[in-house]
Amino acid sequence: MDQKEVSGISFQIDFSQPLYEQILNQIRSAIVRGEIGLGEKIPSVRELAQGLHINPNTVMRAYQELERDGLTEKRRGQGTFVTSSSKRVEAFRMEVAKEQIHTFIEQMKNLGLTWENVRAYIDQLLDDDKGGENP
Amino acid sequence: MTDWAVKGEALFKSYGDNKALSGLDLAIPKNKIVGILGPNGCGKSTLFRMMTGLVKPDSGTIEVLGKTPGWRTNREIAYLPDRARWYPNHSVRQAFQWAESFFPGFEIESAVKLARYMDIDLHLTVKGMSRGQEARLMLILCIARRVPLIVLDEPFSGIDVISREHIIDGIIDFIGEREQTILISTHEIHEIEGMFEYVLLMDKGKALWSGDIEELRAQHGSLHTVFRSFYKRSVITNGS
Repeated sequence: MDQKEVSGISFQIDFSQPLYEQILNQIRSAIVRGEIGLGEKIPSVRELAQGLHINPNTVMRAYQELERDGLTEKRRGQGTFVTSSSKRVEAFRMEVAKEQIHTFIEQMKNLGLTWENVRAYIDQLLDDDKGGENP
Repeated sequence: MTDWAVKGEALFKSYGDNKALSGLDLAIPKNKIVGILGPNGCGKSTLFRMMTGLVKPDSGTIEVLGKTPGWRTNREIAYLPDRARWYPNHSVRQAFQWAESFFPGFEIESAVKLARYMDIDLHLTVKGMSRGQEARLMLILCIARRVPLIVLDEPFSGIDVISREHIIDGIIDFIGEREQTILISTHEIHEIEGMFEYVLLMDKGKALWSGDIEELRAQHGSLHTVFRSFYKRSVITNGS
């Protein structure tokens, strides 16, 4: 696992997993968590490719997907910027959360657990975790 | 028109008892950075020499950019042979001027820019260079050419990590602006593996696996793991 920082965004690249998804997911998280602020500029494709030693086409594909997400926008001659709409970021956060909850529920179903079982487990875990530093 | 940069079918080549290629099939897509990987003696260099028409196959067919390799296709290929050297008395600038008059597609401005990137002084003479500096010069002479196919045989051997990183930065600086296929053979994948889009894994003159590297990662994990498992398997099956 390689930890690298490019223009203030930190990346952990694992060469045993597809790189495109890692770049995409790590920038998505940085935006959603506010590590890159609304309206802020993100590194150019070339800067990120050179910083991570990754093929620029791979980086470009991830950037195109971020634009489709509505999380970033290109400004002609200036580079790529995070959207300045907090609504858009919030909507994206909810989309991802929903998707993951669905996946989670499916997996629990496959384990033969009912929603009541799951909820009880979660409550118990949260109780155990009290005082921990989970946000 | 063809979609392949290089296409070969059932390629065989022997030198005496030594089988360099024994039934190699390949179809390398255009405009990608391609890793040709495998242990020493797996047939990589023979394949490259075949692509540049220096060696003819005993049997099988090979096409480069849709044509049979020869002087016509070589105008469209920038080839860096293994352990390439340059005239010792030339300075970097002289080497670039020489290349400009003799290498089709050589762009001197690009070469100067790359030299800056790779930390090579234009006044330096070749005989005063370290192994790593000369290797970087040889690489610049290749990648500063606007040709559809660049073939680099072990460009990193004997080059330290810092130089390798300079080289990779230089390559990144150039692709995207161009439509080029870059084939790189290496057995040291560490700094370069993130650059490959397509790989051909070779062993004993044959293809073990070829395809999109992201697919390879999804199916088999890192190139390192792949190397271990693929080659161990082939050693066991061939050794028994």
